[in-house]
Amino acid sequence: MQRRIHILPDHIANQIAAGEVVERPASAVKELIENALDARARRIEIDIRNGGKTELRVSDDGHGMVRDDALLAIDRHATSKISEASDLRAISTLGFRGEALPSIAAISKFELETAPAEGGASGGSGTRIRINGGRVVAVDEIARQPGTTVTVRSLFFNVPARAKFLRSAAAESRAVSETTIALALANLSASFRLRSNDRELLDLPRTGDLAARIESIWGPELASTLIPIDYTADGVRVAGLVQRPADARSGSRRVYQLVNGRPFVDRFTVRAAEEAYRTTIPHGHRPALFLYLELPPDEVDVNVHPTKAEVRFRNKMKLESTITEAVRSGLEGLASAPGLGRFAGPSSQLVSARRGARQGREGAAGSASTAAGQMALFVPSEVPAREAMVDSEETADEPSSFHAGGMWQLHNTYLLAETRSGVIIVDQHSAHERVLFERAMRDYDRGSATSQRLLFPITLRLSPTEMAAVDELQTILRQVGFELEPFGSNTVIIHAVPNPHPHFDAERCFTEMVDELATGSPLVDSARNQHERVAKSFACKAAIKAGQPLSEIEMEELFDQLFAAELPSHDVHGRPTILRLSMDELARRFGRT
Amino acid sequence: MKVTITRENFQKGLSAVAATIPTRTTLPVLSNILVETVEGGVRVRGTDLDISVSVETPAEVESQGAITVPAKKVADIARELPDAPVEFRSEGGRVSLVCGKAKFKLHSLPSDEYPSFPEVPFSEGWRLKGGELQKMSARTSFAVSSEETRPVLNGVLWQLRDAEMRMVATNGHRLAKMAVKLETAAAGDEDLIVPPKALQQVEKLFASDAELEIARSESHLGFRTEKVEVYTRLIEGPYPNYEQVLPKDNDKECKADREQLAAALRRVAIVASDQTHRVRLAFAPERLSLGVQTPDLGEAEDELPVEYVGSPLEIGFNANYLLEVLRYIGTEEVKITLAAPERPATFEPAAGDEDYVCLVMPLRLME
Repeated sequence: MQRRIHILPDHIANQIAAGEVVERPASAVKELIENALDARARRIEIDIRNGGKTELRVSDDGHGMVRDDALLAIDRHATSKISEASDLRAISTLGFRGEALPSIAAISKFELETAPAEGGASGGSGTRIRINGGRVVAVDEIARQPGTTVTVRSLFFNVPARAKFLRSAAAESRAVSETTIALALANLSASFRLRSNDRELLDLPRTGDLAARIESIWGPELASTLIPIDYTADGVRVAGLVQRPADARSGSRRVYQLVNGRPFVDRFTVRAAEEAYRTTIPHGHRPALFLYLELPPDEVDVNVHPTKAEVRFRNKMKLESTITEAVRSGLEGLASAPGLGRFAGPSSQLVSARRGARQGREGAAGSASTAAGQMALFVPSEVPAREAMVDSEETADEPSSFHAGGMWQLHNTYLLAETRSGVIIVDQHSAHERVLFERAMRDYDRGSATSQRLLFPITLRLSPTEMAAVDELQTILRQVGFELEPFGSNTVIIHAVPNPHPHFDAERCFTEMVDELATGSPLVDSARNQHERVAKSFACKAAIKAGQPLSEIEMEELFDQLFAAELPSHDVHGRPTILRLSMDELARRFGRT
Repeated sequence: MKVTITRENFQKGLSAVAATIPTRTTLPVLSNILVETVEGGVRVRGTDLDISVSVETPAEVESQGAITVPAKKVADIARELPDAPVEFRSEGGRVSLVCGKAKFKLHSLPSDEYPSFPEVPFSEGWRLKGGELQKMSARTSFAVSSEETRPVLNGVLWQLRDAEMRMVATNGHRLAKMAVKLETAAAGDEDLIVPPKALQQVEKLFASDAELEIARSESHLGFRTEKVEVYTRLIEGPYPNYEQVLPKDNDKECKADREQLAAALRRVAIVASDQTHRVRLAFAPERLSLGVQTPDLGEAEDELPVEYVGSPLEIGFNANYLLEVLRYIGTEEVKITLAAPERPATFEPAAGDEDYVCLVMPLRLME
């Protein structure tokens, strides 16, 4: 009987492996760019034709290869990047499996040109290898600049099943562009240029600044809405740029995540970052996120899938809470308040500029110092800092207290305050909303809400639905300060009320709250539980109204309370509480530049 | 119209009405004052439509007439004039002011555009010493509400009864009430709700020994002497039934040194929440302890010797309300009565025969 089992010839095995690594032109581009980066390229050029289906070429100015290495490189599992299994646990290069070149070569008409950097600047000792469907056709000596150029033509010409599933040239071209962008965001110190059918799609100069890279990819519209974060806890560093809550929109947005310089996809870490935005953006809005995670190599496993899009984290729960904390600490600062005009204050500096990262939770409390070039806050004041717990390095930027001399009320609605590098405008209602919301949430935990007993109890007739809501929420309403007594036939008597400010109208606040809680509103419906629901409604209805004149002392108190809040720059509806106008912008407007 | 008036009298008349001139108004004539000649002098009038004031001041009248002038500008001019007689004359649509070598010409508005003053039937009114009224209003009107949704609480309730009159003010959290005996009975029972701003004008413009004529119309209240008149719009009631909330069964009583108590309150209140100003008072025989605990900030405690009769009691208050009340208690010692942590406390002068009491509702203390 004939033997049924036999070893596959190499070229077929390579084709099968290739199917795993290379599924479309973009994946070939990704492998080739990663190789270029691992070769320390400073300039990477990508050219594609017909979405890369007809031809794709990646050229770099990296360290290149000598002839023997080049020949070895096209053998499977040939790699310069690891040599022992133990290296797998601490991978610091992008590629390591040694599969990329042979895989691509197995399923295309492949040409590799390379010259080592050591071979003299003008070259002369370059190598060109041509491979057709995995079979070496020619090996020539050529003259070329140091670096490597890989040209891939007719991808999948010998794998018709794969070729059939390729999408339109436009779609494939978009995928190549996405891949390039993801790698460009991870490698600021290399320049990238992507052309499709000789038309330039991307031209990204080398930079030291993530925001500059983002600006050269998507323009200043996106870059100017981002604020820097940089936070370290227990050896995990979370840095990058996140969008100001006020600029987050519903619909599509940009999310890029990197771990140790490697792009990855994981919706749980995205969700962790979004958790930090809770209560600062309207329901359904999604912020743009550029998250750069740095973990000890043994805390993360990138060898999950050949395309390396997925990674595994050893301690996922802890990582997620660190990400939430990191983003939140960024949103705490005044930089997260929107600015007016183009020079709203520097939105960001290089994330990878390794400035003193802050350590742990304590350091994060109420701090605004995450941003490198953040708008310097607030003119010095004779009053000492309120929050003694903030350490001295951070107090410089902390709006500890205001003297009323530098503060004005505009149209009984906005407060204007002078800062060290400009002015800020605060919406008095939104600001107080934030203060009251956080206080209500804290008071639930502590049971410390105060309520003022009334000489003349308020008697209210409610609709049956309102009465049902009051019955259901009575305990929670009591926790924010309303002491109620149902009095039969849809009537309640209010014996005690909270007293959030001297102009507070308890009856109106209660009526409006009950109406909102009974019938629902976008605000209260976005709450996570009944406590938050009541706190949000209370904050909104009890806060100082627009149009309310405030005394200087009241203004000072509101500022002190606002900047003692966790997320001072955002109210509970997702609107900003603060706008910034920098001296630079003023100078620009007045032509003083 | 042409009059000559001393600079001093001119300025006195102007400053008397200045407080009623609205700073911002949609009716331009309200930023003017009306100057009209009367027998032996001029009458200066100002109004913001809620409160109207008129003051007569001596002058030499050469020819009669009436004119309005911009209040602020004329007051500023009067302040800077040299000490010499002022000649004040209307010329067409303008007013000329001459004082020594200084000459001014100001645009004016015709006097018939000036709103007329309310008609109040003084013949049906009553009479009262200025001082009586002033004493009551000074010690109650602080307690009115500043919140605009319950207009009755923005006013001071003034009740006239057979042989007594009372003033009451409250914002629903604290209340002040004062009563005085009347020597001459009023015309009849009256319940008036008066804006505190009008009472301030009454305090300021009438001498304490002056005998005031007072009368009301449907919507207005008028006060007058020979030279000075003050009118105010009344706030429409009904006023809440305050008598019902005056505690009658407060069985615990404390006597404390008013200054010591106020000083201790001011000290501990520094650490109190700037939202609620909550302090905890613990009454025990011979000792009153004050405590403040504010999350995120800290704690404070103080203690003072008191006379106390009753079982020990802990109760929370807004320190600002207590301090305010203590300011108006005239005696060295204050008498405090209490019933329970959720019931009102009263504060009264511990000596003398003044009929004055303040009520403060407690803050809920959490367990």
